[in-house]
Amino acid sequence: MSKIGLIIEREFAERVRKKSFIVSTLLTPLFMIAMMVLPSVMMFKGGSSTKNVVVIDNSPEQFVGRKLVSGKTVSFNLLEGNESISNARMMYKNDYGILVIGQNILDNPQDIQLILNDASSMSVEENIQNQIQSILRTERLKRCDLENMDQILADANVRVNSIQTLKNNDQEDDEKMEKTSTTASWLMGLILGMMLYFILIVYGQQVLQSVIDEKQTRVLDVMVTSCTPFELMMGKILGIAVVAALQIVIWAVLIIGASAFVMPLVMGGTDVEAALAAAQNVPDPEVLSMVGKFTNVSYLAGLFLELLLYIVGGFLFYASMYAAIGSAVDTPQDAAQFNGIIMMPVIVAIMVMMSVMNDPNSDLVFWCSMIPFTSPIVMMARIPFGIPTWQVAVSLVVLFISFFLMVWVAARIFRVGVFMHGKKPTWKDLGAWIKMK
Amino acid sequence: MESILKIEHVSKTYTGHRALDDVSMEIPRGSIYGLLGPNGAGKTTLIRVVNHMTIPDCGKVWFEGHEITAEDIYQIGYMPEERGLYKKMKVGEQAVFFARMRGMGRQQAVRKLHEWFDRLGLIDWWDKKVEDLSKGMAQKVQFITTVVHEPKLLIFDEPFSGFDPINANLLKQEILGLRDRGATVIFSTHNMESVEEICDDITLINKSHNILSGSVDEIRRKAGGNTFLVLYSGTNQDFCAAVTGKANLIGQSEGVIGGYTQQKIHIQSDDDVREVIGSLNDKVKLRSFQEIIPSMNDIFIRAVNGTL
Repeated sequence: MSKIGLIIEREFAERVRKKSFIVSTLLTPLFMIAMMVLPSVMMFKGGSSTKNVVVIDNSPEQFVGRKLVSGKTVSFNLLEGNESISNARMMYKNDYGILVIGQNILDNPQDIQLILNDASSMSVEENIQNQIQSILRTERLKRCDLENMDQILADANVRVNSIQTLKNNDQEDDEKMEKTSTTASWLMGLILGMMLYFILIVYGQQVLQSVIDEKQTRVLDVMVTSCTPFELMMGKILGIAVVAALQIVIWAVLIIGASAFVMPLVMGGTDVEAALAAAQNVPDPEVLSMVGKFTNVSYLAGLFLELLLYIVGGFLFYASMYAAIGSAVDTPQDAAQFNGIIMMPVIVAIMVMMSVMNDPNSDLVFWCSMIPFTSPIVMMARIPFGIPTWQVAVSLVVLFISFFLMVWVAARIFRVGVFMHGKKPTWKDLGAWIKMK
Repeated sequence: MESILKIEHVSKTYTGHRALDDVSMEIPRGSIYGLLGPNGAGKTTLIRVVNHMTIPDCGKVWFEGHEITAEDIYQIGYMPEERGLYKKMKVGEQAVFFARMRGMGRQQAVRKLHEWFDRLGLIDWWDKKVEDLSKGMAQKVQFITTVVHEPKLLIFDEPFSGFDPINANLLKQEILGLRDRGATVIFSTHNMESVEEICDDITLINKSHNILSGSVDEIRRKAGGNTFLVLYSGTNQDFCAAVTGKANLIGQSEGVIGGYTQQKIHIQSDDDVREVIGSLNDKVKLRSFQEIIPSMNDIFIRAVNGTL
């Protein structure tokens, strides 16, 4: 067997036999499934408990307080008569808060106070704000004293809940256009992008750690008298890559299996649509389409193929940088500074990934999905939105060319770095090593 | 004798520190060669130069008549002073891995390693992890991984450090055995006792210079400089009369042991030794006559202090 092969075999065997490998391999998909299932479960269960708000309404005839509607988020308790604020503060300590509505609320809509006994909650504030706004708007319209006011108001009360989005996929039959969902795509993209981030960093760091360990324990001295530095570096990178690949394949099988069998089981039994319709504050029916996507096995399998390509390219690109740094320093502490520089494009990629939802085709997103430093994470987040194949292809070609270049540069640093002990090298040193004959 | 390794005018300077200054030496094939010197003298740097781990500023290294290549280095068995093994790996598996890295087949490696493990009493530890071994046992494992592929040239950096006398002796016997089977051994050390016992030739490096080279016997004899210790009974006058003209007394008589006087003498010429013994035998009652050969330890200290 070639020396690279031997090193790959050793790295692989050492990692796969560790307990931590088995634990993380099994726990990660559980975690991901929990991430997918929990939102649905939360929707069925209705989320957090209802907050009790005591209302002191000083408006004429308490017209605001009387019209506040209690719901799942907030339940209102209107105090009759003129309770003073200080009394109420003493008496209702166990409630979530006290809402004080000013006397002249119709003309001065800012005259509202919410005194909290508990941490503030955006959803409660929003609920109160919306309700009061609607009450005040109705009252003000009523002041106009039009005929059929109630009729007009009821008629004007219209809501657009969701738009059905379809993908123009060149099918002649309009019915065959694929339904898409921005929320579902974004969620999927987020999961994929985070997965890539996780793999690049976690496994990249393993390469770094592995080289530093070997340098510290001086096994490196024995190794470099048995093989070339390049063989050693590639053996390590590929060995860890094989571990990563194995782990991802296991996850793919587990997740696809779970999607095909477990998800329907969780969802089955209850009538999903009815349950969703019944639940209060359902975001939109897109959730249904998302659930549909996750249970589509062939879609998932295709996605995993793209995922695997980006993982391979992205990992080898980052891992060779990590290997070069590991070879140049003596301790993990010394590696921290260089590590920070590697993390920068990754952080940029994460930030860009978040903006993919607004526009998966903006210039920023497009270029970041082409530049190899950010492309694995950003492109993976874009793919669920339906990206033209040529873009994915170009991005992959750029990534793989860059990976070869990066390996070349890293190997040149590595071949000098592994023999260096003592002083932490500067960027200038690294540059000199690359140029060294 | 043909040399297996030849080092020619090698110099190496690190920032502001000259680690090797024009060092040359030749290592005869089939010998055990001691590379001696105080800490920081440049021994390890020299070994790293031979192993291509450090690039010299100038000078060349020849292996079997050609300039040394990367392929040659993979044929050298090198045991670094700071021992390195994968801690989490099982002992036997690790040894097999290193053997295969040096080009052995799996079957062959397993067979040879079993022999070695058996001989050094490690066989029960085959399936244990390296981190469970004692320091001495880990050293033995490292030794085995260095020699198992039967390299022509072996380089040991301080091979006996960390060993108890019994295991150090065991290792010594193994090194001699390797030499007898045709290997050339270089070892770097400052343990002079082991040098006397097993080295055929040495080079002494001090402050990055080669200050003394040659065969151990020759160096010791030379350093001794025809000094002898005589044990006799008789008068001082008779003793002086017997040696006059051929030898000088060194210092005063060194006291009396069991009725015999002890006296160190220096004989000017090798040819006079027999005569001096003859005339002493006539004049006094000679008990013993013995050449004083300095220990390598003495030679080392004197050479380093410049008083040799």
